[in-house]
Amino acid sequence: MQNEPIHVLLADDDEDDRLFFSDAIKELKMNTVVNVVKDGQDLIDYLLQTDVTLPHVLFLDLNMPIKTGLECLKEIKNIDRLKNIAIAIYSTSASEKDIEETFIRGANVYIKKPSSFTSLKKVLSEVITLNWQYHTSGLDRNNFLLSL
Amino acid sequence: MNLQSIYLFTSSSFLRKIFLGALFILICISAFTYRHTFALSDSTASVIHSQQVHLELEQMMSYLKDAETGQRGYILTQNPVYLQPYNGSREKVEVSFKLLKSLTLDNSKQQINLDSLHKIIDLRYSLFRKSLALSVEKPVNKVEFDNVLMNGKNAMDDIRYRVNQMIEFELVYLKEKKAKYESEISFTPVFTIVLFLFTVLIFAIAYMMINRDLKNVHKANKELTIINESIDHAEIIGNFCLTQWDLYNNKLIYSDNLYRMLGCEPQSFEPTVENYVAFVHPEDKHIVERGANDALNKNETYIRTYRIIRKDGEIRYFRSVGKLIEDAKNHKTHIGIINDVTEQHLSNLSLEEQNLELEQTVKELASFNYVASHDLQEPLRKIQLFISRIDENEKHSLSETGKEYFARINVSALRMRVLIDDLLQFSRTNKAEKNLERTDLNKIFHKAKNELAEAIRDKKGIIQTNRLPILNVIPYQIEQLFINLISNSLKYSRVGVEPFIKIECEKVRGKDYSPFKVNGEKKYFKFTFTDNGLGFEQKNAESIFILFHRLHHKSEYNGTGIGLSICKKIVENHGGFITAKGVPNEGSAFTFFLPA
Repeated sequence: MQNEPIHVLLADDDEDDRLFFSDAIKELKMNTVVNVVKDGQDLIDYLLQTDVTLPHVLFLDLNMPIKTGLECLKEIKNIDRLKNIAIAIYSTSASEKDIEETFIRGANVYIKKPSSFTSLKKVLSEVITLNWQYHTSGLDRNNFLLSL
Repeated sequence: MNLQSIYLFTSSSFLRKIFLGALFILICISAFTYRHTFALSDSTASVIHSQQVHLELEQMMSYLKDAETGQRGYILTQNPVYLQPYNGSREKVEVSFKLLKSLTLDNSKQQINLDSLHKIIDLRYSLFRKSLALSVEKPVNKVEFDNVLMNGKNAMDDIRYRVNQMIEFELVYLKEKKAKYESEISFTPVFTIVLFLFTVLIFAIAYMMINRDLKNVHKANKELTIINESIDHAEIIGNFCLTQWDLYNNKLIYSDNLYRMLGCEPQSFEPTVENYVAFVHPEDKHIVERGANDALNKNETYIRTYRIIRKDGEIRYFRSVGKLIEDAKNHKTHIGIINDVTEQHLSNLSLEEQNLELEQTVKELASFNYVASHDLQEPLRKIQLFISRIDENEKHSLSETGKEYFARINVSALRMRVLIDDLLQFSRTNKAEKNLERTDLNKIFHKAKNELAEAIRDKKGIIQTNRLPILNVIPYQIEQLFINLISNSLKYSRVGVEPFIKIECEKVRGKDYSPFKVNGEKKYFKFTFTDNGLGFEQKNAESIFILFHRLHHKSEYNGTGIGLSICKKIVENHGGFITAKGVPNEGSAFTFFLPA
């Protein structure tokens, strides 16, 4: 176990999903700090604060009001200070179009929101403990979509 | 038509030859007749000529006799009255002689005769003069006088003899001429008759030929009339008309149906561009006017569509096609066909409308897709998550009935998830994403097998395959096809029988499978998936591919009735065909063809 906690940020407009997410991470009992934002605009505002601790992993929902996940992804990758944050797309849909677009825009992994709590915990633990450097260097279109 | 005109042409040239021949023969006949007439007059002339010579000789003889008679009278009577005929006779004889000389100019023998006759006549006159001189001497020298008179008589006899000889000669000459003329003239009637008959024959042939030509012309005319009439009818039936614009003579011909198409009586107005343009819809006039210019300057075929307003006010759509053609003499003619395309045009318009509607529907379907894939899944996923939360932490506080109901809720939610996933799969399997890639089907098979690894392991299934080809396909669709067929076999396996699935592939000719809807000319790969599962009644072989069609209760087998519909759609997307065979409780075989 690391001494430094892992900072995790979730951007999701759905209250239930935010609840499931926090509960799952709590039950995983890892050394993590979880922050949540309610939509895309909130996310950008949060990240642009000067005194904020940048997350190690950002879980990004795609279908959000005001600013969609894809727009956020583009903005983040255009800001030097933010572009190295590992981004996990966290979406209900797994349409080819979404997967393709987010991969091209530089997201690191694509997670289809699971429909059981057990799988949710499994996915989150896997993503959080992922060796990002290793994963990113061997990243390709085929292992982009996380399969369990 | 062409043949006929060629035939007519040769025939008329033959006739021309016949007429030239007849004319030649007529000239021949005229020449012969002329010659013979000439010969006849020639012979008449020679008869007259001989008679003239004869007469003139007689005349001369009579002058001489007159002179002799006068001389005798004078000698007897010494009366000078008797000397009168003698005195004028010398001149008269000379005149006669000169006439004879000129008459017999063409006959050297008679000339010689005449010359010797002249000498004797001279002698005779000198004897006359001597006898006259002796008769007046006193006394009369009787001996000499008798002598002179005797000589005179002899000379006279000589003259008479020679004249007779000349007359004789002339008669012989005439006879010869006559014989020659008759020999010539005797040939003429036969020759003339032969020529005449020949001419009659030629004219008879010519008459027959003209008759035959006239019949042919008549027949050709009749055919032409029929063709013209059928074109006329064809124009009415086909709602089109023909136009001809002879640019050399600047003459336009509109067929009758153009007038009918415009709602007018045939040929009721003068065929001119202006008169036609008057019927064109004001907004389309520029199309026709510009078109008329183009038609004269460009050599290619053109097509134009425009509206016209019929005489009765109805608006119709016309389409003109035309081309400028040039004959051997560089005379240009513009040939045009005008079609009334109102119905086609309107149905095209409604087709376009329907197309737009269809596009709209497709767009709506796509957005429905998104709603289904995202918005419907989201609440369901949350229901399932809450179910799993309760299942983990709160289940123990439920009563037995509550637990039972809760389990049923879970099953229903799961089923709904499967249904939504399958439906999405089905609606995504469309032709729009037709990106064919050269794909190794062996790799696809392994991917499908990996995808199903869990189910295969659970059912203890065995899958056997021979070598699969490399084909141009949509890879993810073929993978889906393999997954669906294999999982179908696994799902409908018999209880207690381990599933055995055999996949075979061979290259076949389409024409060997004519009952299927395959293209006979092409080659196909024929894939067969055979299993030892539940099978089905052969009568259901077609209905199993229908969407939502199921052969089993969902409590027995957890199917949605979508999987095989997707298979059919995928195979058909690839231009192939799928079919199924089943024997209940023995197994089923799915065969599909993909173009090689």
